[in-house]
Amino acid sequence: MRLGRQQFGDDEPLMMAIVNRTPDSFFDKGATWAEEAAFARVAEVVAQGAEIVDIGGIKAAPGVEISPAEEKARVVDFVARVREQYPSLVISVDTWRAEVGAAVCAAGADVLNDAWGGADPELVDVAAEHDAAIICTHTGGVTPRTRPYRIDYDDVVAAAIHDTVAYAERALAAGVARESIVIDPAHDFGKNTFHSLEVTRRIGEMVATGWPVLVSLSNKDFVGETLGLEVGERLVGTLAATSVCALAGARIYRVHQVVETRQTVDMVWSIAGRRPPLRAIRGLQ
Amino acid sequence: MSAPADRPVTALVPGVLALLPSYRSIEDPVADLRAACRAAVGRLGPRVRVVASPATGGSGAAVAAALVAEVGAEVVETGETGVLVVGNGSAKRTEKAPGHLDERAEAFDAVLRADFSAAATDPALAADLWADTTCLADLPPLADADVLYDAAPFGVQYWVAVWPR
Repeated sequence: MRLGRQQFGDDEPLMMAIVNRTPDSFFDKGATWAEEAAFARVAEVVAQGAEIVDIGGIKAAPGVEISPAEEKARVVDFVARVREQYPSLVISVDTWRAEVGAAVCAAGADVLNDAWGGADPELVDVAAEHDAAIICTHTGGVTPRTRPYRIDYDDVVAAAIHDTVAYAERALAAGVARESIVIDPAHDFGKNTFHSLEVTRRIGEMVATGWPVLVSLSNKDFVGETLGLEVGERLVGTLAATSVCALAGARIYRVHQVVETRQTVDMVWSIAGRRPPLRAIRGLQ
Repeated sequence: MSAPADRPVTALVPGVLALLPSYRSIEDPVADLRAACRAAVGRLGPRVRVVASPATGGSGAAVAAALVAEVGAEVVETGETGVLVVGNGSAKRTEKAPGHLDERAEAFDAVLRADFSAAATDPALAADLWADTTCLADLPPLADADVLYDAAPFGVQYWVAVWPR
């Protein structure tokens, strides 16, 4: 897998740390809205070993409309600053807009994380033009920044596979490098809690497509609804879901808590036999 | 006791399972020991006869075979260019040792260090002290060897040594 300037081995799970340049995202509630706070967040997650930062300028939930100009104002210069400070860090930008994608790629972004499933058909062309990677998500065709309302599927996993693989093939046809295309079932996007649980349970079917799989589970509502916990109380549930996805072989974990997720994924990766223990001597002396 | 002139080059390594590829860690807990073992086995030539105690359940022989393979040599029954002996001292050297601390262990290992033939004198004590000494008794003394490793890093006494021809 290659994400812009960085190549990764097939057996290497990656941490993608969320960095919000928003005043209103659900988990941090604007904690990194100020540029300095966002920059400090980047430094923190890099120190924690995240391979990727995912910078977003618009919260996923409905809210005040953010124009492309405003979105660019939030993320483009920030991407350039992160790129200058961290030349080898993989920078992803969470956007569905081709116009924003082009600007952040010019500023040094490696990955376009299209959380809204190809709502802007020109985003793949931007990724191809800049040799950027692209994350192809499944949303069930909903409009960006809308909540799911009475969406149902005959088979949510089959739908997620169909749509993400179709998106991946469209990206490939547009000229995005094969090794730079990732699929993501997009938990909670166009999905109720039952859908997200089923996608988690059957994530191995997405892995079996051969496209590397990203999962974005961190503190989401499906965890909260399943356990009856508010935002801020969902880490354990998030890590349980993370374990299931890791055992099945999901490759990229989009997270708020890098350290805890890394430990979880490393542990599961070792259980799965894909990673040796760090240092085992007990009984082997 | 000194080595007869026709004795092939002989090496001693401990049967440490952490040396096996199947028990590889990201950070090698026995890096120094492994380096010493490879250096020793590398001096045995292309055909190595292994002498390991069956009491280890075959793990000593497995460790030896892995080391021989790692240096690009092969294990043979006859016609050897070198002999690889597998064994070690007590596994009761410290409180955190696999067999916990036995006060007799350090003195036991000191006697072996001076004269491996002592290994034959008290097999019951060797068993008590979790020492793999069955194959050590015929070795010349360490004083005649190039000693590449002599330590008990995990409460188990290891020696890595080569007796040149």
